[in-house]
Amino acid sequence: MTMLSRVAERLFWMARYLERAEDTARLTSAYAHLIMDIPVGDDPGWQTLVNIMDADEVFEANHRVHNEHNVLRFLIANGDNPASIRFAVKAARENVRTTRDQLPEEAWEQVNELYLYSEEMAEKSVGRRNRYAFLEEIITRCQMINGMILTTISRDHAYRFIKLGHLLERSDMTSRVIDVGTGSILTREAPDTAIDPLLWGYLLQALSAMGAYRRTIGPQLEAATVVDFLFTEERFPRSLQFCLRGIHEELKPLHNSAETLALLDSTRRKVSRFQAQSLSLEQIHLFIDEFQLALNQVSNTITATWFQPESS
Amino acid sequence: MNKRWKNYLKGAPGEFYDELIAPTGNPRVAARRAVNLLQSLSPEEIAARRAAADLAIRDMGISFTVYTEGGNIDRAWPFDLIPRVITAKEWQRVSAGLLQRGRALNCFIDDIYNHQKILADKVVPAEIVLESPNYKPQCANVSPRYGVWAHICGSDLVRDHNGRFYVLEDNLRVPSGVSYMLENREITKRVLPELFENYSILPVDDYPSRLHATLASLSPRQQKRPSIVVLTPGIYNSAYFEHAYLAHGMGAELVEGVDLFVADDDCLYMRTVEGPLRVDVVYRRIDDDFIDPEVFRADSQLGVPGLMRAWQAGNVAIANAPGSGVADDKVVYAYVPEMIRYYLGEEPRLASVPTYLCSEEKDRDYVLANLEKLVVKPANESGGYGLMVGPHATQATRKKFAKLIEADPRNYIAQPTLALSTAPTYIDGKVQPRHLDLRPFILQGDQSWVTPGGLTRVALTKGSLVVNSSQGGGSKDTWIVRARS
Repeated sequence: MTMLSRVAERLFWMARYLERAEDTARLTSAYAHLIMDIPVGDDPGWQTLVNIMDADEVFEANHRVHNEHNVLRFLIANGDNPASIRFAVKAARENVRTTRDQLPEEAWEQVNELYLYSEEMAEKSVGRRNRYAFLEEIITRCQMINGMILTTISRDHAYRFIKLGHLLERSDMTSRVIDVGTGSILTREAPDTAIDPLLWGYLLQALSAMGAYRRTIGPQLEAATVVDFLFTEERFPRSLQFCLRGIHEELKPLHNSAETLALLDSTRRKVSRFQAQSLSLEQIHLFIDEFQLALNQVSNTITATWFQPESS
Repeated sequence: MNKRWKNYLKGAPGEFYDELIAPTGNPRVAARRAVNLLQSLSPEEIAARRAAADLAIRDMGISFTVYTEGGNIDRAWPFDLIPRVITAKEWQRVSAGLLQRGRALNCFIDDIYNHQKILADKVVPAEIVLESPNYKPQCANVSPRYGVWAHICGSDLVRDHNGRFYVLEDNLRVPSGVSYMLENREITKRVLPELFENYSILPVDDYPSRLHATLASLSPRQQKRPSIVVLTPGIYNSAYFEHAYLAHGMGAELVEGVDLFVADDDCLYMRTVEGPLRVDVVYRRIDDDFIDPEVFRADSQLGVPGLMRAWQAGNVAIANAPGSGVADDKVVYAYVPEMIRYYLGEEPRLASVPTYLCSEEKDRDYVLANLEKLVVKPANESGGYGLMVGPHATQATRKKFAKLIEADPRNYIAQPTLALSTAPTYIDGKVQPRHLDLRPFILQGDQSWVTPGGLTRVALTKGSLVVNSSQGGGSKDTWIVRARS
């Protein structure tokens, strides 16, 4: 069975948006907890969160002040903000709606349920009282949908492009979670030994990585080891190296994959050589920026090769 | 009789044929067990089942878009819990009539685009056919396999006050609604499973595989698995849900015009992640005017440039074939009984509704003098648009239609207002009679087949005779039941 280019593109974006919804919920939830634990004045501020999502421009068009309510409303409930959970869920649903014949029948029902839930609850869940439950529910439902797709879909093109979408988005979002750490510490004069471990702990939790980290590295939470772990731990499914290897595996059997593979592998090499110990936080931050640009390029090449080829 | 339904027929006993309740007030034999069971349910229980059905509909995403609402506003499909019951014995007669009709209609289309014998023999006036916008000269001299042009036909049936079935119209272009027939059965099974315990109800769920077999039989290449696509205008079309549903049910690709192209070899291909792939059969859900901008409307973004070329060269089959609409013109409808006699040498097994053609002077005078008794329809509109139900129309509307008819007589026909049959329907928690029709689907390829039952559409407004979903209609599960041995 082959697959229409247009359908492949929609499945790819469905996966990206589902992953984005889940990861944004993880990030927002962890960040909101973090801020409650850190004394006012020492906390990294809400602006960092908007900054991490590369959404400053859209935010400033909507709000003046970077306070808790505005930032969370922007990331949870603003239907026009491409970085919001509500937007991602809606976009995922639109992509499933137009490809439902390619997916298990339950996929549409569940994604539609997720959409109805998000439409009904997002606005009500900006405040502290309902926020946690909402974000947890989004994470759980996204995982259910992914699990269902993973356990029912044939290992053909549909699966391949879904997986590519998930892994690309996940590596992008993992890099953003790391950037929360580097970025928020950078906004302060100097590292704070009381607060920094707390910060990295929350970020590991946001990636469900705490257990894996403790088993592999140990209980000490330091910037360099955490960052190294999230970059290069090949066995952990949310690490950059894991995601990039997965992308490589899915690209390889496709027709015409040479160009995309070359781009990807050059990024893989850079990540595998990465050592946080030898870099300043500022340099890590720059590395992450470059990494995100490289991912973008991979995504564009995928589009040009399989979704919108110029010749017919 | 349980008192919950006691008042059901009060006020109008016997005025209309009721599908479930006899004029005596007792359920008809085939419906008895279903009616008894439904009556035994308390209002609370009915409400709970109703809620379960709503949930099922919402979850399944059964929705359809109405053009005028714009955008992609989803509206839930209005489903009534009470099934409509028809005996297998009666259905067999109807079904034979539909097959006969389908055969004659296809003979007619094939004749019109090839030899035009029926026009030469003056059985049907030539100008009626050749001046119709549904006649497409671009389709002349093409001979689709088996002589079949309309592979999927949705004919609308109604019953009069005696319970006799009439064909109201034949939809030969892109008839829709079959997915709702399938989903209605699915919902009834989910929310009223006990109804099925004591019945032998003919299943409907093999429709997608029947459709697949019909389409596969048209493939120009002899292949084990011909490549079949469902061509949709896209997500904003009111029937998009159905296009996706059928594509999924058949394991066919759901494509839009942009996914396809015709290459220099006059063959049709789809764009895939592995490069171009040849297509054998197109089940198109796009009107003729939009399928090929090279031949029909040049501004169409929905179709595929060169598709007609590929079809004329015999490199791809299109279902329904372009030009099939020539036989679902409401003026041509008036001649279907004659067609059956002419091509098949048989008497029509299913009645047609007497039809007055406003293009004929005698008929037109009668129509204009009797507007308050008649239903006036434009010849080429579907979906219940531009229609006037005389007895329910205001003086002003009747005047407006008189003017329209005088200005363009060819475009209007009139029929007597039939006392459409009714069936018990839950309205605001009470059981009330509502008018309905029935759209069975007839498949024709190397073999012919009629759906057991079809889509029953209900006019939810009291007294209304307009059942179209785009006009606020609802629907019911339709059962063809075998007598228990």
